[in-house]
Formats: sequence, structure tokens, C-alpha cells
Amino acid sequence: MSVVLSIQNLHVKVSDREVLRGINLDVPAGEVHAIMGPNGSGKSSLSHVLAGKPGYEVTAGSVSYQGRDLLALPAEERAREGVFLGFQYPVEIPGVNNTYLLRAALNAARRHRGQSEVDAYDFLELVRAKARMMKMDESFLTRGVNEGFSGGEKKRNEILQMLVLEPKLAILDESDSGLDIDALKVVADGINSLRSPERSLLLVTHYQRLLDHVRPDRVHVLAQGRILKSGGPELARELEQRGYDWVLESAA
Amino acid sequence: MNAAVRTPVPGSLSQAAFEQRLRDAVMDAAPLLNARLLPVSVRSAALNRALAAGLPQLRDDLWRYADLKFLGSAPWAPVPSAQDTNRWIEAARTVLPERLAGFERLVFVNGRHAAALSDPLAPVDADTAPVVPERTRHERFGWLNDAFATDLIRLSLSGSRRLELVFVATPVDVPQALHPRIELALQPGAEVTVIERHCGSAGDNGLINVAVQIHVGSAARCQHLREQSLAANAQLLDTLQVALDTDAQYEQTLLQLGARSARSSQRVSLYGAGSAARLHAVAVAHGARTLDHSLLIDHLAAHTSNAQVLRAIAGDRAHVAFRSRVEVAATARGAASEQSLKGLLGGTGAEIDLRPQLEIHTDQVRASHGATTGALDENMRFYLLSRGLDPQTARRVLEWSFLEDAICRIGDADLRRVAEKSLVAAVGNAVAGEALQ
Repeated sequence: MSVVLSIQNLHVKVSDREVLRGINLDVPAGEVHAIMGPNGSGKSSLSHVLAGKPGYEVTAGSVSYQGRDLLALPAEERAREGVFLGFQYPVEIPGVNNTYLLRAALNAARRHRGQSEVDAYDFLELVRAKARMMKMDESFLTRGVNEGFSGGEKKRNEILQMLVLEPKLAILDESDSGLDIDALKVVADGINSLRSPERSLLLVTHYQRLLDHVRPDRVHVLAQGRILKSGGPELARELEQRGYDWVLESAA
Repeated sequence: MNAAVRTPVPGSLSQAAFEQRLRDAVMDAAPLLNARLLPVSVRSAALNRALAAGLPQLRDDLWRYADLKFLGSAPWAPVPSAQDTNRWIEAARTVLPERLAGFERLVFVNGRHAAALSDPLAPVDADTAPVVPERTRHERFGWLNDAFATDLIRLSLSGSRRLELVFVATPVDVPQALHPRIELALQPGAEVTVIERHCGSAGDNGLINVAVQIHVGSAARCQHLREQSLAANAQLLDTLQVALDTDAQYEQTLLQLGARSARSSQRVSLYGAGSAARLHAVAVAHGARTLDHSLLIDHLAAHTSNAQVLRAIAGDRAHVAFRSRVEVAATARGAASEQSLKGLLGGTGAEIDLRPQLEIHTDQVRASHGATTGALDENMRFYLLSRGLDPQTARRVLEWSFLEDAICRIGDADLRRVAEKSLVAAVGNAVAGEALQ
């Protein structure tokens, strides 16, 4: 099975503070990996570095994505190559139509692949179908991007974008936080609908509850900027019962 | 003070040369000036006041950021119309915006009413000008509009009216000055929407000197969209005075999208209890453009309110300045004032100066103000890049979002769409056109 994402000895600094201290991680095609860990462990930093957010300085190590040097690509090119980051705090862009952003994003990727722009009517059909899947009212499509959305609506909008863009590698940064049980189910169904042999998912989460609905192939514990422990889905349950301290202690 | 020792504004023009230019202009203009619209006595008194006021001083806080260097070579006299009217009309047709359904249109070309391009609507239907507070030195260039205006719009409006007033400039062989002039008196209870547009080019060294006076009668409502999309070589002076009677409402949306140098001097007098004024301003400056604004808002009666929203973008070496002074008199108990001024810098040589000022002479006032200038929000930018948009498109999307924050406050949906369309066309921003909601 081919490896979609391979991270080797990744060290990252944010304004002179080392936030990642030697990450090693391989995610094969078709697998779902969960990254769990306490607050401040470096989970969001890892998501941001993979998506190309400015302000993160890679001091050592490498990241290869589909055999290419991911870190050499600007953020927009990573996106067009099929990397998707679901934001922990999706940004509001008032006055800019939600559908416009979806279409601009999809067309950017299509042009990158040498395809023609999507037909306007086909696109509307597609977006409406995906919005129904996310149990989002059609009015969300014509509102400003995340403008005045509740926390849960913003998270669903992230998954909607993912469904439209159909990435090769989706990194979902706490897509489950702030969701009630019904919304969590909708988000999980959206994620599950994208599971396929050629697609990989990295679920960054603090809690195990999303993993009840989206069953991961592997679970990694990230703490103090390193992956301290890896295991199967049962590790998530163990963490839920015992907390993170025992992992930290056994690693010390 | 002796005129000869005054410090002129930056530039080559001395006080004495400015005065001489004005006197010469009067001689040139005399045959063109309609004495029935503005009697000679009024014109002459206005000219004398302008001469006495002279040029704004460098140290005058009201004029500190205005780029008036062009006054060194600007003409003041309008050009004769007789020989060229047909050519003007044809030239004007090429820049006239599309007709708007439901609006009565009046078109002026190079300061003259163009009946061929207008609806059969008399541009003058009132004998006297609307009552607004006297001009001060802050509105000094209005005196020169009094002195040199050729045609004007002077209307008494009642009931529900929608007007589009278009002022087209088109170059002539000699340097010319245009003095567009609007006088509106809204009768009590009137509901009036006015779109005021300035477009075209008066040629290099041309001068456009606008004067607007509006009286909003009791419980009347005026929605005023002002679009300045002049050519990149245009030089504009704008003087606006508005007075509001009891429970009157005035909403102005100002789109500053063109010109090389534009200065807008506005005074709003809230003299009627319960009257309310709102201003939504958008200024977009690139190249070496300077857009300067000075507002004086006077709260004179109880429970008056004003709200101002400015969104300004300056790139390259452009400069946007916005000074807004709100004064709440002792008689204005329960007044409310809100100022939200934001600037977006897009170049290391660009400059934005925002100066909200508030002076309160009574208790029981609700007042808030904020003024911030910065670069694009990095989180918003990264969000768009992470969706595959290129940096240039991301910038345009975010600039649109920034400006739309002022436009979206226009109460009337039709008027909002007109404003959005103008903004899209003028900013040349295809992205914004698609992103429209």
C-alpha cells in the first residue's frame, strides 16, 4: 500500500519556541489516523505546518506527500494538489458568498489538474447535494463565508468544503469540538462518506467521541511535540479512560 | 492678516496668484453666468468671501492632508458651451452609466443641463435655495461654486421620488472648471432616493468643484448615494451641507473611486430633535491618488444620532485621509454618535490617516469611536490560500469583503445593488463581481 504522507524527524519552531520536536509518521493511502493529545501538545501546529501556514519555521526533518517534498510548496499549491485542512476555528469572510469560495476553490484545483472549469449548473447541483448531506439549509450557500454561523455550523461548512473538493489528504483539526451529539453524527457521516482506498485522513482531536463514529486505523498520542505512543483504535478508548498522564509518565 | 505673508498650501501657488486667477476667471466667466439662478449680488458676495478666506493654510488642521497643489494651475472659469454641445453629448453617451429602472434621470455635461440625455424633468422647480447653515472656511470652495456655477439642480421634493443626477465631464481644448451644483429641499414626510454620479474627465489640469446643499424636512427621509468615478487625472473639490429637521433621516453612501486628488468637505447639522444621519464611505486609492475627507457633524437638538462607517484602501503611493469631528451641543441631550473608521494598507509607500474627534457639551450621550489601520488579516488570507486560491485572488476577495462592510449597511436593497455594481466596475475587480451575494 502506497504511503500518501510521510513525516520524518520534523522539528518546527514558532517565534523561537520549539513546538514540534521530531515527529515521525507514515499515513498509507486509504487509512484514517487519529492524532490525540493534551492541550498544547503541538496538534494544531502539526496541522498548520502540513497546510503551509506562515509563521512556522521548519528547523529539521522532511515531509513527503505522494512522493513530493510538501514543505517546498506554497499553501495554495498544496491545496490544489489535494491537501485539505479543516480549521479548528474557521475564519469568517463577510460579504463573500459561500458558494463563490467553493467554486473558486474547486476551479483552482481543476485548472491545476489541466481540467476545464466546472459547469455552473452542475456545480450548483453538486453543492446542493453535499449541503443536504451535511443537513445545511440552502440559505447557507448564499450567505457570507461563515458569516454569523454558529460554531457547529462553521464546522459543518468545513466538511461541506471537503466534500466538494474531494482531497487526497484531509487534515481535520478538532472538527468535533463544540458540536452537540446530532451535529457530531452529521460531521462523522460526512467524513465517513469520503473514506476510500485512495484517500487518507488525519483526525486531530482531543477526545475519543468522534472516533466512536469514525473508526481510525491507527491512533497516535502527540505530547510535548513528539509522538509518544501509537496503537490501534483501542488506544483511543484507553486514553479516554486513563487520561494522558500515564503515556507521558511511561515516555519519561 | 496680510495676504502677502500667508503661507500657501504646499505647491507653487501664492495667495496673490490665487486671487489674481479668481479675478481673471470672473472676467472670463461673466457672460456665462446665469443671473436668474444665482443673482449677481450673491455671486459677487460669495467671491469676496472666497477671496477673504484665501487658500487653506498648511497649519490648518481642517486641511492638513488635502492635496491642493493643483490649485497652482487649475482654472476657475467654466468654458462656453455654444460651439461644442453636440460633440459633448456624443462624448457623454460613451461614459454614461446604464439607465436605472424607476429613477428619473438628469444629466449635466461640462456643467450644462443636457436635455437630450435627461428625462423631461425641470432641473429647477424652486425659487429659493434650501436652508442650510452658512458656509464657513471649512466649506470655502462652495463660495467659488456660488460664484461660477453655470446650470444647477434646484428641486423641492415631496412624496416619494427617485432621482439619478449624473455629472459628466468631457475634455475640451482649453483647461476648464466645472461647478456641479445640487440644491434639494425635501418637504415634510418626503421619501427621496438620490443617486449622484460624477464621471468622465475634465482633461489634465481640469477642476471639478461640486457644491451640494440638502434640507431634509421633518420626518422626511433622504437616501443619497454619491459615486465619484472620475478619470485618473481628475481634480475634485467637493462641498456638501445638509440640515435635518425634526425626525428627519439622511443616509449618505460615498464611493470615492477615481480622480487623482479629491477633497470632500462636509457639514451635517442635526438641528431637529430626533433627526439621524448615517454615512457609509468607501475610498479606494492607488497610484499617486490622494483622497481627503473632512466632516463636521453638529448635534444641536435632543435625541439626534449619527453613525459613520469608513472603509479605505490605499496602495502604491496613495493617500487617504478622513477627519471627522462630531460636536454635541448642550442642547443635544440623549444624542448618540458612532464612528467606525478602518483603513487597509496595500503598499509600503501608501498612507492612511484616520482622525475621529468628539466634543461633548452635555451629559447623557452615547458615543463610541474606533479607528484602525493595518494590513490584510493573515488568518483570513491563509484560509483562502488553504482552499487553493492564489495570493492575488485572495487579496482581492479580502479587499472586497473589507469594502462590502460599509456597503452592506445601505438600508435599501436596490440602492445597495447599485452601489455594489459601481464598486465592482470601478475597482475592476472581477472577483468581487462573482463574490457578490
